[in-house]
Formats: sequence, C-alpha cells, structure tokens
Amino acid sequence: MGPAPAGEQLCGAIVEPEVMEPALEGTGKERKKASSRKRTLAEPPAKGLLQPVKLSRAELYKEPTNEELNHLRETEILFHSSLLRLQVEELLKEVRLSEKKKDRIDAFLREVNQRVVRVPSVPETELTDQAWLPAGVRVPLHQVPYAVKGCFCFLPPAQVTVVGSYLLGTCIRPDINVDVALTMPREILQDKDGLNQRYFRKRALYLAHLAHHLAQDPLFGSVCFSYTNGCHLKPSLLLRPRGKDERLVTVRLHPCPPPDFFRPCRLLPTKNNVRSAWYRGQSPAGDGSPEPPTPHYNTWVLQDTALESHLQLLSTMLGSAQGLKDGVALLKVWLRQRELDKGQGGFTGFLVSMLVVFLVSTRKIHTTMSGYQVLRSVLQFLATTDLTVNGISLCLSSDPSLPALADFHQAFSVVFLDSSGHLNLCADVTASTYHQVQYEARLSMTLLDSRADDGFHLLLMTPKPMIRAFDHVLHLHPLSRLQAACHRLKLWPELQDNGGDYVSAALGPLTTLLEQGLGTRLNLLAHSRPPVPEVSWAGSRVPRDTKDIQDPPKHKDSGTLTLGLLLRPEGLTSVLELGPEADQPEAAKFRQFWGFRSELRRFQDGAIREAVVWEAASMSQKRLIPHQVVTHLLALHTDIPETCVHYVGGPLDALIQGLKETSSTGEEALAVAVCCYDDLSRLLWGLEGLPLTVSAVQGAHPVLRYTEVFPPTPVRPASSFYEPLQERSSLLPRLDKPCPAYVEPMTVVCHLEGSGQWPQDAEAVQRVRAAFQLRLAELLTQQHGLQCRATATHTDVLKDGFVFRIRMAYQREPQILKEVQSPEGMISLRDTPASLHLERDTRQLPLLTSALHGLQQQHPAFSGVARLAKRWVRAQLLGEGFTDESLDLVAAALFLHPEPFTPPSSPQVGFLRFLYLVSTFDWKNNPLIVNLNNELTVEEQVEMRSGFLAARAQLPVMVIVTPQDRKHSVWTQDGPSAQILQQLVVLAAEALPMLEKQLMDPRGPGDIRTVFRPPLDIYDVLIRLSPRHIPRHRQAVDSPAASFCRGLLSQPGPSSLMPVLGYDPPQLYLRQLRVGPKQLNDPGEGTSSTKGHMVMSRGEELVMVPNVEAILEDFAVLGEGLVQTVEARSERWTV
Amino acid sequence: MVARRRKRPARELDDRIPSPPGYAAIPIKFSEKQQACHYLYVRAHGVRQGTKSIWPQKRTLFVLNVPPYCTEESLSRLLSFCGLVQSVELQEKPDLAEGPKESRSKFFHPKPVPGFQVAYVVFQKPSGVSAALALKGPLLVSTESHPVKTGIHKWISDYADSMPDPEALRVEVDTFMEAYDQKIAEVEAPQGRPSTASPVMVTRRGWGRRPVLPWTEAASLWVLERERRKCAQKELLNFYTWQHRESKMEPQLCKKFEEDKQRVELLRAQRKFRPY
Repeated sequence: MGPAPAGEQLCGAIVEPEVMEPALEGTGKERKKASSRKRTLAEPPAKGLLQPVKLSRAELYKEPTNEELNHLRETEILFHSSLLRLQVEELLKEVRLSEKKKDRIDAFLREVNQRVVRVPSVPETELTDQAWLPAGVRVPLHQVPYAVKGCFCFLPPAQVTVVGSYLLGTCIRPDINVDVALTMPREILQDKDGLNQRYFRKRALYLAHLAHHLAQDPLFGSVCFSYTNGCHLKPSLLLRPRGKDERLVTVRLHPCPPPDFFRPCRLLPTKNNVRSAWYRGQSPAGDGSPEPPTPHYNTWVLQDTALESHLQLLSTMLGSAQGLKDGVALLKVWLRQRELDKGQGGFTGFLVSMLVVFLVSTRKIHTTMSGYQVLRSVLQFLATTDLTVNGISLCLSSDPSLPALADFHQAFSVVFLDSSGHLNLCADVTASTYHQVQYEARLSMTLLDSRADDGFHLLLMTPKPMIRAFDHVLHLHPLSRLQAACHRLKLWPELQDNGGDYVSAALGPLTTLLEQGLGTRLNLLAHSRPPVPEVSWAGSRVPRDTKDIQDPPKHKDSGTLTLGLLLRPEGLTSVLELGPEADQPEAAKFRQFWGFRSELRRFQDGAIREAVVWEAASMSQKRLIPHQVVTHLLALHTDIPETCVHYVGGPLDALIQGLKETSSTGEEALAVAVCCYDDLSRLLWGLEGLPLTVSAVQGAHPVLRYTEVFPPTPVRPASSFYEPLQERSSLLPRLDKPCPAYVEPMTVVCHLEGSGQWPQDAEAVQRVRAAFQLRLAELLTQQHGLQCRATATHTDVLKDGFVFRIRMAYQREPQILKEVQSPEGMISLRDTPASLHLERDTRQLPLLTSALHGLQQQHPAFSGVARLAKRWVRAQLLGEGFTDESLDLVAAALFLHPEPFTPPSSPQVGFLRFLYLVSTFDWKNNPLIVNLNNELTVEEQVEMRSGFLAARAQLPVMVIVTPQDRKHSVWTQDGPSAQILQQLVVLAAEALPMLEKQLMDPRGPGDIRTVFRPPLDIYDVLIRLSPRHIPRHRQAVDSPAASFCRGLLSQPGPSSLMPVLGYDPPQLYLRQLRVGPKQLNDPGEGTSSTKGHMVMSRGEELVMVPNVEAILEDFAVLGEGLVQTVEARSERWTV
Repeated sequence: MVARRRKRPARELDDRIPSPPGYAAIPIKFSEKQQACHYLYVRAHGVRQGTKSIWPQKRTLFVLNVPPYCTEESLSRLLSFCGLVQSVELQEKPDLAEGPKESRSKFFHPKPVPGFQVAYVVFQKPSGVSAALALKGPLLVSTESHPVKTGIHKWISDYADSMPDPEALRVEVDTFMEAYDQKIAEVEAPQGRPSTASPVMVTRRGWGRRPVLPWTEAASLWVLERERRKCAQKELLNFYTWQHRESKMEPQLCKKFEEDKQRVELLRAQRKFRPY
C-alpha cells in the first residue's frame, strides 16, 4: 500500500489513553479509582437519580493541584464550561475508533491489497465489445448511448492507496468507511479518454471485472457496488469482511487515473467534454453555436485525479493537531444529526475537513484550538459566509492561467475551490442544501451564544429528521415524472452534463421555482438528498444465481424526492399574492409566472393590479395555501400533475376538527367564545349596584387560552327534550331521553376592589362571597337581561348561547386560610390544602390562562399543537393523570424553547415534537422550565435547577416550572403517578416512529388515527358503556356514523332557560368508581383495610382479600343504565 | 381464580361466615339480582377504660365495610328488624371524637362522593345490638318497596338537587352573618364598655383597647434578620490570612464541577453519549 506507513504514523499520533470496550463496563472500576479524591460522591447515583452534591468545608477550600489548575485553565480558555468539556470528551470517546478495531481494519486492508493486486489481466478489446465479461456480470453503469470509441484491457492496479478520513483519524463510528484509491495503469487509458464518458466506461468495466474476481474470495462477506457521492457515472466497489466483523468496516475501492494523465485545462468549467453529436445523436440546434459546457462532468473526472493531493493537504494541516481532528469529528456528528451529509450532493465530512483546512490557512483557526472552538469557528464561518455568492478558494497561487471564480459561479451554485484552483469541491451541493447548512449553522450559533444549560445536547445529540424539522413536507412520487419536467423546462444541456440524471438536473430549477412562488410564506425550502443506492453483488460466494446480480439502478428508482417547507407564520395569514400594477412591464412576467390564477383586481386605494387570490377561509386552510401554490406551479411550469405531489401538511388536522365542519380546526370557534367572554367582562366592569366594584375579570378555562380540544358551540336547547324546572328557570335531563348535549361552563374569576370591611374568618368570608354571587346574578338579570343562576360558590351566566361560571374572589382569602395561631398567640402562615387549592384556582390559573392566551397571539399554531397533544393523551386513556394545564405547559415549552428547532408553525410538526419531548425528557433529573413571557433570567434558571436537585424527593414525578410557579409545580402536584408517566413515555416512544413513518410514506399516510387508538389489552376489567348516555359519543377518535339526538336546535329557540350544565354520566360514574378502588389499594391501618374486602380462611389463618366478585357487580350497580357489560379478564387476576 | 372463589362462600355460608376476630359478618347485597355479597362486619361498640366516646356504650353497633350505595336511611331500615334504631351515622373513618354534627350547611359543604364507609348505629335498647350481631342476612339494600336510586336515576336527581334555592341560600347567609356580627361584637365589647363591677383604669389615650400589631411569624423573623445583619456588620472580614485566602477561592466552582462530573457520569451510565 502506498502511504500506509505514513498512515500508521498518523494512527500512532493519536493514541488514546481510553480504550473503548472496557469503558462500557468499567464505570465501576473508574469510580473506585476516583473514590480516593471524592469520597462523598463515590456512591453511584441511586437508580439513575442525581444527588445533590455535598462537599465538606475542607473539600471546598482544598488547594487545587497543579494538574487540576492546568485542566481548569485549559477549560477556561478552550471551552465554554467544564460541563461542556466533559460532555465533548465523552462524545468523542463514543464516536472514535478504538485501537483494537484499527488493528483489525488494518489487517483487513492488507488482505484486500494482496488480493486486488493478484486479479488476473484480460486482453485488449473494443469498449463496445463486452463479450469477455463472464456470464451474469453486469456493468454498474448505464451505457447510454452504448456506442463509444476506445479499447479496454484489465491490468492490476499500479498502486493501491488508502485515502480519506480513516488515515486522518477523523472517521466516526458507526459506519466506518475506508476509501482506497486504485490507480489504473496507463496502458488501459488512451488519449481523449476524457471525452464522451469513455473514462467512466473504462472505470466501470475495471470495477466489474474486479468485483467478479473478489466476489469469489471467501474473505469478503459482501461485495456490492455503490456510487461515489451519488454520482451515477462513478461506481465504487464496497467490500465488507466476512463473519463478525461485517458491520465493522466498509472498504470502498475507487479506480483513478494515473497522475497527470488528464490536462486540467481541458476540464475547466467552461469546457465541453460530452459532445452533443454523440450524446443526442445530433449537433446542437443552429450550426456554429458552441457546444454547451459540461462543468459537472469535468468535475467528476477531476475529482478522481485529486484524491491523493487532497489527502496530503489534509494530513499536513490536520496531522499533528488533535484539536482540529476533534473539531472535524464534532462537525461530522453535527452534520449527521441534521441529515446533511448523506446522499447525493450532501455536505460531506470531507467538505467540512477541507473547510477546516481553509480556515486554518486563512488563520481563522489555530492549530492549538480545541475541538469545541473549531466547531464554533466553522459554524460562525458558515453562518456568515454565503458561498453561493462569494466563493472561496484554497489556491494561493495567482497564476493568470487559472480560471476565475466568476466562471465557477456561473457553472455551479456553491463554490469552494481546492488547492489546484481547478476543482470545485462543492460542485454537487445545491444552493438549497447550502442554505440549509447555513440556516442550521445560524441556529446553532444563537444556541451556543444563549448560554443554555444543555447546549451540548441540543447541538450534537438531538437528531433533526426532516419530518420533525419542517412544518410541511411534500413528496414527489413517482420520480419518472421529473423527466418530462426536464424537457418542459428545456434542461437538455444539464441532462447532457449530468449524464442523463434528470433528478439532479431538475432539482435546482424546481426549488428556485417553488421558492419564488412561496415568497413570503416561506422561511426555508430544503430537499432531501436522494440516497446513494447500494447495488448488491450478492453476499454469498460462487456458485450464485444470476438473479442476485442486479442491473444498475435507474434514476427513477431513487424513490421519492421530499421537500421540506419551513413556513413563516406572519406570511401565512394572507390569501393574496399582490402583483405589479397592470400597466407596468413586470405585469406580463407576473402573469406568465402565475398563469391563469393571475387576475386583474381593483383595490380599495384605486390601484388596479395583477393579483392571485387563494381560497381559504379558516386558519387551517390558510396554513395549507402552500399546498395550493405548489400544486399550481408544478402543474403549470413542470407538467407534474397533482397526483404526483403528495403534500403532507394537515392529515392530523382531522383529529381536532369539529364534527360538522371539516374546513376549520377550531381556532375560529374558540375566537368566537373568547369574543363573547370579552363582552361579558365589559358588562361586569360596568355593573352598577354591587357593594364593591369589579377590579379585574380573568379567564380561567382552557377555552379562554385556546387549548380546549373541542371548542364550545352556542347552546340552543329544545325544550321538549328536557324537564323544565320553572322555579329555578333551568332545564333538567329526562330519564326517558338520551343524555342531553354536554355543556361545560367556562370559568371566569372576578376580583373585587379592596376593602377593609371583609370579615377575617374563613367561614364568614365564604358567606359574604355567596352573598356577592347572589347579588351578581340579580344585577345581571336586571340590568342586562341575562339568564343567571347563583350558588354558594359561583354564578352561572348564559350569554349568547355560551355559559360562563363566574367566581368571585377575595384576594386575602388564601391568607386567611393559611393563618395558624400557635398556643403562645403567634400567628404564622402555613400552607393548607384548602389555601393551596384556592390560590391555584383564583390566582395562578388566571395568570397562566392569560400568559398562554398571549402565546397564542404570538404563535398561531399553539392552539393546534396543544389540542392535538391533549387529544392524544386523553385518547390513550391517560388524561385523568394529567391536568389540562400541565399538558398545555408542555405544549407551550415547544414554542418557548424550540431549540434546536424553530417554533413550530403547523400542528403536525408541533405534535411530533411533543411526542419526542415526552418520550426523551428525563423527568427524574430535570425540571421542565417553561419561561413564559421570558421572565426568567439565565441565572434564575440555573438556580432553579440546583434547587430542584436538592428538593427532588419532595417534588412530584413530573416537575414543570414557570415564572409564576417557581418551586411547587402546582399543576402536577396531584398526578401523574410514576406509573402513569412511564406509560405515557412508553406510548409516545412507540407512537413517534410509527407516525413519522406514516407521514414520510409517499403513498399517503394511511390511517392517521392508528396512534390515537389506545391499547386495551393492559387492563384487567373493561366496562362497556351505552352510547345513549354518553353525551360526547361523537367525539371518539373513530367517530361513529350516527349517534343520538342531544336536544339541540339549529336555530335559536324560544326557551331561555339555563341548559343542563356539566352533566356527563361517564364522568360522574368514573368519579364514583375512583373512590372505591383507591380504598382497595390503601395499605390501610387497623380496621380501614376491610374496605371492600372479605375475610377468607386460607389454611389455618384468616386473611383479608378483596371481594372481587362483589366489587365487579358493584360496578354494574353503580352505573345502572349506563353500563352495558362488565368484562373481567379473569385470567389476569392475581389477588 | 374467580371461579374458585365463587364456590367457597357458598360452602362457608352453611356453618359460619369467617370474620375478623371479635366481629360478626352479615352478608349484604344491593338487590335480589346480584349473586355475590359484600359483608358487613359488626361489633358492639366499646372503648377502653378512660377513653372518651360520644357514642353510648352497649346501645351502639359499630359496622365496618358499608358499601357505597348503602345510605343512612337504608341501613336504619335494614337494622330496624333488630330493634328500634335511634340514629345512624356514616363516616369515612372510625372516629370517636366527632359526634353527629350539628347539620352542616348543604350549600357550603357539599357531601363528598362516598366509598366504603363505617357506621355507628345507635339503638334505643341494648337488645338491638345483640339481635344485630346474630343477624344472618343476606340483607337487601334496594327492594321493591324501598328502591335505592343508582346510576342514571341517581345522577339526574343529584343534578336537580345541586341547584340551590337562592332564597334559602340568602336566608342562610343572613342568619350566619348576623350570628357572626354578634360574636365579633361580643369579643370586642367587654373591653370597650365600662362595667360598674370593676374599676376602670383611665389612661391618656382614654379607655379602650390599645391598637397593637398582631404578633405574626413574619414580624419575628424580620426582627431576627435585623439582629443578624447587625452582627454581620461588626464581624471582621479578611482579617486573618486564611480568611483572605478563602475569599479569593471560589468554592461554588468546585461544587459545580463535582455536579457536572456527576451529571456526565449519569449520562454515561444511561448511554446518552451515543449520538445515533
């Protein structure tokens, strides 16, 4: 092997003290070693729980050792914080290759080398005469057109060289690839081989012969073809060892020409090397016009010639600097988490290494920098430099014969020249890929600057798959349609250049078209990079069927082209595309762009302009305008019909749509209710005759913060359906009718102005409040003619069909409830359940409601996300464990702390991220901080985290911290229990990949409700209810086709009696059931354990066992009329 | 398992139903239709010497395990076969101190949803208790003549009951507040009004209650804090060499570093450093 000794030196240079394998089980051992220093810490964290650190005074003030001082100084200079340094070190340990494995790989490489050199040669034949190939061997290349001049003979490679990241020590696990360059002997090649794909044909034949011989060798577990960077003209041969090392390494063989065979001046981006006469069988239209340049073709040839010089450059620059190598490894992880490096035209690890070299040569990076600093500098550079406009070059010479940067900009969208000045390293990278890289770099930079505590995790450990990163996604399928599109867009020169790869040829114009059309609605458009196919050359040895050998993949086989749209919420509200005035010259261009959708319109200011108007009435339809734009433009300009465009933007909307309306996801209905509430609060403000005036009216109901799953509709009860109770002017449900429609009153808290007249006794305050409730009802009826009903704790008001429940609040009441007098007469304040409850309902809940209401104004998608999340949790039958507010706060966290993403602009992506958050968040060791209104400073958040650790044992399982509620996590105090939370985590972890798979399926998402159906097999008893008495029967995930009449009129009826409020038999039934089983589980002290139990003699002694049979019968008795059957899965009972 | 249990009570009914020591068991069912029974465990109410109990000894029957659908009325009816029942009190837990409360306002203290309860049944004569202990059963809570509402029936009637009469509420509030005002007036009055029986001390401010701040915890804490601050001002800082040295060191950093190490250790244990 060529520079192998040098490579071994390189390997030797990065000997690492840590060995991978023992590190996994060796944590215990390390601990023992460490225990001498930190005795207090030595106990392993109990059950994965972080313990608050307690250090004695002596340890706190111990003089640091020299070593520690050095370490600290390094950390201070080279890293952000010591935590980050530790994390980065751990990550590098995880991705780096161990010495042991390197030895095994080296041995394998030596074997490969021996075998490749021994492959027998073949006599010379014409290129078109491929009869010498053994039967069944296919050439891994589309030979179109087939006829080409030249001769081919096989000779063993002149030189076998290992190139690429393996030698540099920057390759990362898993998927270790070792690139091996095979220099073809000069005898194989002839002059003018650069023309008309001759070189590529020879290269492919060379590989085919090689593969045929290597496949018969027992050393290899699999031998198959792939394509270098997805370029279909350049196959490479993948070799994997047989046996247990099969997953360890993939060796890629790249044939390359002898050095200095091609003259670089023939391969400039302005030159043509694929003649139209040959490629299309005709000379270009209009004789005399020059042949179109073939920049991509030229680049592919040049790439093969430069393999070794690139390696030399990289090893001189990175060779001795460990920090730079770490940086490259980190950057590769960063790219990979964002799926930027894979596929055709990806921003590969090689590009990043070259970028580091560039930054070193421009002195933006110094060789002593740490990996973290390298990462930061590269991201900073990417974020601020637009290579699509200002290309960069590694070439230092100012030779006038070198091509100008402008030439490259003309031919390629992204320009980054190598040290020779001839080769554009970013030739395959499309502009939108680069913009995506830039966008990600910008996001990462803000994240790094924001001093967030877990920046490391968000930056390097969180995967960003397309479906979770982009608001809407669209699949183009089948891809063969793009061929027609290429013809429509007149992309023949590009096809010629790309050797017929119509996907790559059409990608650029397609994205430009859509970007222009979506305009202000769009933040970023990204496309998936077609995956690099692997053509199986069959895994097993001879004899093998010809079936195993596949033809080279066609372009349409690369599956689907997926485009991701990151929307801009402010642009989404408009249904109008405003064009130029009709008499302007640009008007024609506008008309041409939009086709028949462009209309002349007269506007209010008198202007007559071209304009496009999209049909969208509701918020959810407006969110889907991009769908209309995309299908219209694709059909108009590229002939891609609507059936080939699979737009995934709103399949989940169906779950939060109302019954009758399928056009809206409820934002409008919620807004109507909020409007009505605003009217009511105005009435309350202006109310005359109350002893104290109203000082504040605050909403305290999910409807009033836009997070009620099913928005309320105005109630118009049909009087015949109810039992009227005239003296209370109310309606009652009737026995002989189905259960009436469920009406939930919306809670409103009403504060009164301060006064010294209030009694200072809890019982008396209650009575005075009741008096206020009565008075309020009277006044509202007298002054505004509203139907009211007062009780001791609230007043129900019927207004425009909505029912509000007004609660009077006295701000000192919680304090009165807290007061405890000690025997000496000292008054101290102690939290009691009653005071906490009251404080929660009258103080914290209104604050939360208004904060989330504000959030909805900022992020219009919040409502949809929160409602989908709640819908899912409740559909999984876990709703009871989680309060409404806690789920709303989790949804709010997705908007307030979206890193590493941006705040979601569609319910779909928000819901996916909700599932991701729920399934990955470490509730044991972290509080979920929801920084509403940005009130918490970074220092406060750090303080909260440490306070959390100290108080972990007293806090609930799930802790959500907000600026208003910094210590107690009130919304999760009463649940969920650890088991319920665990169940939710498990379900979310299962639902997420399933849903993502459905949404990424180009054939349509299928049944989207699958993840919403709960698993029933985990339950011991199933109680089936009669739909007649379930008022919300139609809201089931699988909505029944028909249900019962619920006594509602479509028009306002004459009756103005108070409708039946909050009457939901299943809820009432559940409340009763919950009391029973809770007692059953009570361990009980003394006699209380008899509850629901019976005594049995088991052997000699008497034992208490739950009286299961009688309890099951109780279930039926308690729910008489509602319960259809009680199914006990008796085999599961183990009492 | 269920099948096995179904046979057992049937066999045991013949001789004697097992019960906790000291208790007798009475099977109880909701109605004829049910097959399995719950068991009331009953005992004569008795307390140790010296313990106070508001329930009359000898005449009181203590009942455990009363099913949720069993109301006070139905229990009274069921046990009236043993003797005239004076009162029935259902409670969440056995409790000696609380007696039959003066009826709490139904507006302000709504009844909680019942589960299994305990009951104190007071008979008019002690013979009732012994008769009840010998009761064989099974008792039926709901019969043709005295149906007990459950399910939909119960919820509808509960709904109707939940709508209070505003007039009744008003009257209750008024009476309570009158009583309250009177009580307040009584507390304040004795100091305010000179009585002829005792001599009055005449002060500069005139006679009457001196306005004093109530003694609260917050106030005393504030006083303590002020004392502490005073002490801190007097203390010498950076006087000794070790004080000087320590003031330059940052123990918080040391602590944070240890915390970070622990965090990383935990993540490593959870294999959280494998990026994909």
